[in-house]
Amino acid sequence: MTTETLRLLWKSRREYCFTLSGLLLASYFIVAVTAPFIAPQDPYDPLQIQAWEASSPPGTHSGSGFVYWLGTDGLGRDIVSTILYGLRISLFVSITSTLIAAFIGLTLGVSAAYFGKWVDAVIMRVVDLQLSLPTILVALIAIVTLGPGIDRIILAIVIVQWATYARLARGVALSEIGKSYMDAARLLRLPKRRVILRHLLPNSMAPAITLIPIELGHAIALEATLSFLGLGVPVDKPSLGSTVANGFQYLLTGQYWISLFPGIALFALIASINFASEDIRHRLNPRSRSHGV
Amino acid sequence: MMTIVIGRLSQAFLLLLVMSVIAFAGIHSVGNPVFNIVNIETATPDDIRNATIALGLDQPFWWQYFLFMKNVLSGNFGTSYIYHLPAFSLVMSKLPATFELAVIAMLIAAPCGTLIGLVAGRHQGGLFDRVVLRASVFALSIPSFWLSMMLILLGAILLGWFPASGRGTTAVWFGMEWSALTSDGWRRLTLPALALALPNIALIARLARAGAIEVEGQDFIRFCRAKGLSPQRILFRHTLPNISIPIVTIIGMQFGGMLAFAVVVETIFAWPGVGKLLIDSIQLLDRPVVMATLTFVSVVFVGLNALVDLFYAVLDPRVRLST
Repeated sequence: MTTETLRLLWKSRREYCFTLSGLLLASYFIVAVTAPFIAPQDPYDPLQIQAWEASSPPGTHSGSGFVYWLGTDGLGRDIVSTILYGLRISLFVSITSTLIAAFIGLTLGVSAAYFGKWVDAVIMRVVDLQLSLPTILVALIAIVTLGPGIDRIILAIVIVQWATYARLARGVALSEIGKSYMDAARLLRLPKRRVILRHLLPNSMAPAITLIPIELGHAIALEATLSFLGLGVPVDKPSLGSTVANGFQYLLTGQYWISLFPGIALFALIASINFASEDIRHRLNPRSRSHGV
Repeated sequence: MMTIVIGRLSQAFLLLLVMSVIAFAGIHSVGNPVFNIVNIETATPDDIRNATIALGLDQPFWWQYFLFMKNVLSGNFGTSYIYHLPAFSLVMSKLPATFELAVIAMLIAAPCGTLIGLVAGRHQGGLFDRVVLRASVFALSIPSFWLSMMLILLGAILLGWFPASGRGTTAVWFGMEWSALTSDGWRRLTLPALALALPNIALIARLARAGAIEVEGQDFIRFCRAKGLSPQRILFRHTLPNISIPIVTIIGMQFGGMLAFAVVVETIFAWPGVGKLLIDSIQLLDRPVVMATLTFVSVVFVGLNALVDLFYAVLDPRVRLST
């Protein structure tokens, strides 16, 4: 490479960094979807696991012909495969819950703005309460209340996250309600449900959409934390968080690879989402475009 | 003024009441705690019936809630099924450990974060600024449980400098036990306090940076420069006081958050605080302790928030008049 190319690369380093996190994210999704085809073994099929190969360090050759590049866990499962399968669960739970939370939050926020009076008061009081408590506390109360299970985890994350969308959407909707297309919709005597869902909601959505990537990062971290505490996804459907948790007891005896590598995968996933969302916000905000970074 | 105070306090009280009903109904539906008391293999139906009556679980749901609320208002959450101690005093006995951890973590996070943010914001777009911005995104992306584990791997296993778990020897001060008073306690405090502090350093640094950038552009700073004041003096005597209100606010909020987020860190470092008690009790279905802990933390939070709102109302005439 000539110095000229290097200089060009350095000049476009911001685009480059954005592409890097984007590429990483894309490969995460591809790997998660195709995990059953590309994983060296199915870590939840007991027939494919050799118990005597438990806790092998990275690079050990397995009896069935492939290499445990990242080692095996305490039960003899290939770490690469547990990461790939765990990623599926983590992404499924967090994406589902983020989308549901966005829909519920937006609808409630817009409805609060539309109906006003006591509907507004009730919804916004609940929003205030929730946003004043730390997320982990809300999640713990929800989990204690709902009980275990993968659907309960999704519900718990929805309960944690809807309030943020609701507050934002209500603010936007309040300024939309005065516009003439809303008067037109009301004059046409459209049913309330239709006015809210088909006219007010789509027009109040734009700012809240930028929240989705941020909240997706939060959802992944929250799910992992709950699973780590043993309050998350069930044992037979381990996410990245529960995989890290499984390695915790082995960490103290020096078998670091069981928790280190799944943790890196989790961390890189959250970091790339956060970098990408920070970049998107930066690009969408014309005032910040001229400043560095 | 009086109406605001009464309105805000009754609102806080109503919220707590609603939360207690929801939480009580939820924990009621989770599982039967009788099976933690009796041995499930050897117990006869009579044993199970006796245990159910002893725990008051044979009563109708609303009556259980009524008794619970009556006891809560007199400060009595019942007896822990596991420890056989009054639940509320159990929670209180774990409080110093959590409080100590959060205070030390905040004493690390607040000065470090403010200093880093100030210096980064002063040279906006410079190398240090860009490194801080990138690093803060990384720091905020690390799940706290994994950060704690990596601190154990680094500090306790590879370097062997710090023990990985427990509070170590404690010294008694004001009738409570404190780790920060002994050298062994300090070595055990270091890793969990760092794990709690790191994300907060990033958060405070970002806020201080944004504040510093805003303040640096204003006329009075330009005037200070024209006057020939040294950059250090401008930074600490003129910029810092002007960004201190949002920073103090976030420190207060994060301190409350630390008491809650200590759940994860305490579990990993086997730090015998309120968070670890909560997680252990949830897993053991120790209903009185779970209720006592959640109620206590919620009351502290809702109370703090009401106080902050009232404080703003006292300070800011616009808030006072609009309500």
